[in-house]
Amino acid sequence: MSGNDINRRNFLKFMGLGGVGAATLTGCDMPTTVTIEEGKEKVVSYLAPEEYVIPGIGNWFASTCQQCPSGCGVHGRVREGRVLKLEGNPETLNGNGLCMMGQASLQTHYNPDRITQPMARKGGSLVPVSWDEAWKLLQENAGKVDAGRSAWFTGTVSGHQAVLLKALNKAWGSQDHYVYEAINNAVGEAVNEAVLGEAVPAYHLNKAKAILSFGADFLGTWVSPVHFAKQYAEFRTGDRGILMQVEPKMSLTGANADMWVAARPGTEGVVALGIANVLISKHQVSGSVLPQAALDVIAQYDVNKVTEVSGVSGDQLVRMANYLRGNSPSLVLSGESAHNHENGYQNAMAAMMLNILLGNVGKTIDGSNKLAVEELQAKTGSSAALLKFAEAVDAGKYDVVFFKGTNPLFTAPVAMDLAGKLAKVPFKVSLSMFLDDTTMQADLVLPLSSPYEEWNTSVAPYQPVEAAISMSQPLMNPLSSETRSFGDLLLGMLKHHGVDGYDFPSYYAYLQDAMDKLPASIKGSAVDFWADSVQKGYVKATAEGGSLTTKLGDLSQKAVDVGGDFPMHLVPSSNQTMWDGRNANLPWMQEQPDQISKVFWDSWAEIHPKTAAKLGVHEGDYIRIKSDQGSIDVKVYIYKGVHVDAVAVPMGRGHKEYGRYAKGNGVNPLSILSEVIEPTSGELATHGTRVSITKTGEHEELPRLGGSETQVGRRLVSTVSAEVFRRTEGA
Amino acid sequence: MFVSNNFLSEGCVKCVGKTAKRFVSMVFAALLGFGGLMFVGAAQAEVPNVVPPEGSYSGEDVPQPIEFPHDIHADVNEINCMYCHTYARRSKVSGIPPTSKCMGCHTVIATDKPRIKKLTEYWENKESPEWNKVHDLPDFVHFTHEKHIQRFVFKNEGMDVENVSEVCAFCHGDVKSMTVAKKMKPLTMGFCVRCHEANDGPSDCWKCHK
Repeated sequence: MSGNDINRRNFLKFMGLGGVGAATLTGCDMPTTVTIEEGKEKVVSYLAPEEYVIPGIGNWFASTCQQCPSGCGVHGRVREGRVLKLEGNPETLNGNGLCMMGQASLQTHYNPDRITQPMARKGGSLVPVSWDEAWKLLQENAGKVDAGRSAWFTGTVSGHQAVLLKALNKAWGSQDHYVYEAINNAVGEAVNEAVLGEAVPAYHLNKAKAILSFGADFLGTWVSPVHFAKQYAEFRTGDRGILMQVEPKMSLTGANADMWVAARPGTEGVVALGIANVLISKHQVSGSVLPQAALDVIAQYDVNKVTEVSGVSGDQLVRMANYLRGNSPSLVLSGESAHNHENGYQNAMAAMMLNILLGNVGKTIDGSNKLAVEELQAKTGSSAALLKFAEAVDAGKYDVVFFKGTNPLFTAPVAMDLAGKLAKVPFKVSLSMFLDDTTMQADLVLPLSSPYEEWNTSVAPYQPVEAAISMSQPLMNPLSSETRSFGDLLLGMLKHHGVDGYDFPSYYAYLQDAMDKLPASIKGSAVDFWADSVQKGYVKATAEGGSLTTKLGDLSQKAVDVGGDFPMHLVPSSNQTMWDGRNANLPWMQEQPDQISKVFWDSWAEIHPKTAAKLGVHEGDYIRIKSDQGSIDVKVYIYKGVHVDAVAVPMGRGHKEYGRYAKGNGVNPLSILSEVIEPTSGELATHGTRVSITKTGEHEELPRLGGSETQVGRRLVSTVSAEVFRRTEGA
Repeated sequence: MFVSNNFLSEGCVKCVGKTAKRFVSMVFAALLGFGGLMFVGAAQAEVPNVVPPEGSYSGEDVPQPIEFPHDIHADVNEINCMYCHTYARRSKVSGIPPTSKCMGCHTVIATDKPRIKKLTEYWENKESPEWNKVHDLPDFVHFTHEKHIQRFVFKNEGMDVENVSEVCAFCHGDVKSMTVAKKMKPLTMGFCVRCHEANDGPSDCWKCHK
C-alpha cells in the first residue's frame, strides 16, 4: 500500500464509527477512504516457473538455521521466490521445534542493514570497493604473509567450511584458528572431559525423575535448548519430575522450577557439597563410589557451614537432598552462572560429584554418539580462545587476521583493551553480513550471503543419539548480487593461493563432489544421494560412542571474596532473545519481552526488593553499577528472583555499531567486567566481577509489557502459595 | 523437491486441459487458411445459483508496458480466462501468466505485430514485463480467488466451465470487451458483503480480515 495514509489504527477507528451501522453497511462503500489503488503497485510474473510453483501457495524446502551455534534443521516456506516462514525439520534432532531466535533469523536475512558490497579502509573510513579491488587488496596484504603470521578468529564452524578453513590455514602455514563463543559451556566440558572422559555426553532429561540444575538454563541458553525443552516436556508428563534450580538470577528454567534457590554467586559448589553431606549423613547414601579425598571434603560441609557460606538455608538444603534421594534416577546439571567464576571448575566438579554419588552416570548421563566423519565435526567455542588470541595479537604475532561469525569487540571486556591490541594487526579482514562493532574496525570487509541464500553443510555440536550432517540450500535468490557465501570465499582464497585440488567453479560444485566422496556406509542406497540429502535436509552419519568413566577430581572449594568496596556480584545474564548480542539487530527479538522482567527494546538491572529498599530506588530509577573497570547507568527492575547481593544485567544490548535496531539501545554489562579468569579451563569468569551500586537520581519509565505484577483480584490464573501447596500436596 | 539454482530458469511449458488443445488446434486451423474468419463471441450465459453482485465503478485507465488485448484473446479467439490465469482455481491469486505461457503461442502467432515484438524482446532478455496492478485490495483484506471460483464454477451445479468469464465479470467487469483491464466494480467492503449476504457467503470478520 505505497502512498496510502490508511494504517491499521485508522482503519479500526473508521470501522468503529461506520461499523455500528453495519446492518446497512454504511461506511463500507467509501473507496476514497479505504483506498483501493489502481496502477500503483507492480506485478511481475514468472518468466518460466518450475512446474510446482503456484503463486500464492508456499513450497517448503529443507535448510539449516545458523542463528546460534546449535545448528537446527529447518523447513522454510517459499512463496513467489521469497522465504517467508521457518519451522523445525520434523526429522531432525529437535523435531518440529524451532526457537524464537530461529524464527527471527528471517530478519537477519531480510535486514535492511546488511552489507551489500565489499568495503575497504581508505583514509581512515570504510568505503565501498569492487570485488576485483577487494581480491587485489587481499592478495597484496594477505597473499604473501610469512608462515604462521595469519590467523582466523571465528564463531562455531563445522561441516565442509571447517574442512576448507583448515586447508586454507595449512596453505598459509598457520595453525591458528581461534573459535570464540561468548555463551559457551567450556568449563562444563572441561569437567566432563576430566571426569567422564567425554566433553559432551548425552543428557537424558526425560529419563530423570528429579533434576537439580546449578545455573544450567537448559530451556533458554544451555547447550541445546529446543532439544531439552522437548525432553523436559516428557520429564514433566505422567509421573511428574521435580525440577530444582540453584542460581543467582532466575532464568527461564528457574522460573519453571518447583524449587528455586538463590545461592550466593560462586558458592554453587558448596551447596552441592552440602547436599552430598546430607545425603551421606542423613540418608545413608553410600559414599563408597567416591574417593576418600572427596568424602573428606564433603564431611567439612555440614548444613551450618553451607548456610554460612552460601546463604542457602538448612531447610532448603535438606529438601533438595530429600527430593534427590526420593526420586531416582536424578540428574544434576551445571551451567554458566555456576561455571563462570574463578572457582567455576570446582563448582562444576561438585555438581558432577552428585551425579556419581547418586548413580546417575550411565542412566541420565550417557556416552554420546559421534559423527562418523570426524573432519566435519563442529569446532565449538570458548572464551579461553579470546584470551589466547588477545595475548598473541598483543605480542604482534599476526600480519593478517580474519574474523567471521563473532563480534569480540562487543563481547570482550573493555579491560582487555582488545581494540587497542588489534591495532597491532596491520591487516584485519572481516567476513560479515553486518557492520558490527568488530567489522567497523576491519581494513577489508567481505559481504557474506545469508544462510538462506547459500549452499552449505553444517554439523550440530550436540546430537548425542543420531548424528547427522545438516544440509543448507538456498531458499531464495540472493537479495544482493554482491554478497558471497563463506564457502565460496574460502574456495576463492584457496584458489588465489594456488592450492591444488580446489579447482571448482563454486562452493556448490565442491560440496557436490565432497558429498559424493563420503563413504558408501553413509551414502546408503539412495538413487540420487545428493538430491535425496538436499530434499531431506540431513545425512545421518552416526558412529557409536563409548561408555563414560567416573574419575572424580579435586573437590576443595575456594572461598568467595567478600568484595570490600564492591560488595555486589554482577550477573551478566544470557537469554534467548539477544543471545550474546548477535540478535540485537532483529526487531522481533528487541520487541520480545524478557521472560522474567517483560522489558523490551532496552536494558535493565534486576535487583532484589530488599536491595532496592536499602538503596531507596523504585522501578525505573537509574542506578550506577561500578566495577574496578568502569561503570554503567541502567534502570532498575525490582524482583524477588535475584539474590540480594547480586545485580543482574542481561547481555546483548548496548551496541555502538551493528545497524539501526541495535545501535544505542541499552547498555552492555560485559563492558565493565573485571579480567577474572577460571584458572583450570582458562575461561573468562564472566560472573566473577564485583560491583557497587548507587542511586543516580535519574528516572525513566521502564518499557515493559503488562506493567502490573498482580492479577488485581481478577483470578485470571488461579494460584496457591508455596506454603499451602507444601502442606496440602505434601511435597 | 529442491530449489533449482535459478528460480527463473526456463522450464518447459505444458498445455493445460482440453481448452488449450482446442485452442492450439484452432490456431493451426487458422494458419491453414481460415485466417480471415472472425469468430463470433459466445452468447451471454447466465450463471446458475448465483445472485450477481451489484455496483459499478468507472476506473482509471492504467497504462501497461504492453497493451495486452483481452478482447482479442478472450472474445475473438474465445480463450478461456483460466487458460492464462491458471492459478485462479487453486490459489488466492489468479496469477499473471508466466511469460513462457505467452511465448508458447507467440513464437509462431502474430510474430510481426509490434506488441509481440516487444514481448519477444522481454523473453529474449529473460525478463518479465512489470505490469501495473489494476485490481488491488488493501493489505488487511484477505481475498482468495480459489474459494470464489470453486463456489461459482466447479462446485456449482449446472455451471459450464466454458462460461467462467461470466463469473470473473462479477468483480472484474466485462474484460472480454477491454484491451488492457480497467477497474469496473467498486470492490469495497460493502460490495463484498452485499454479495456474501445475497449468496450465503461467510460473514465472519476474520474470513477476510486475518
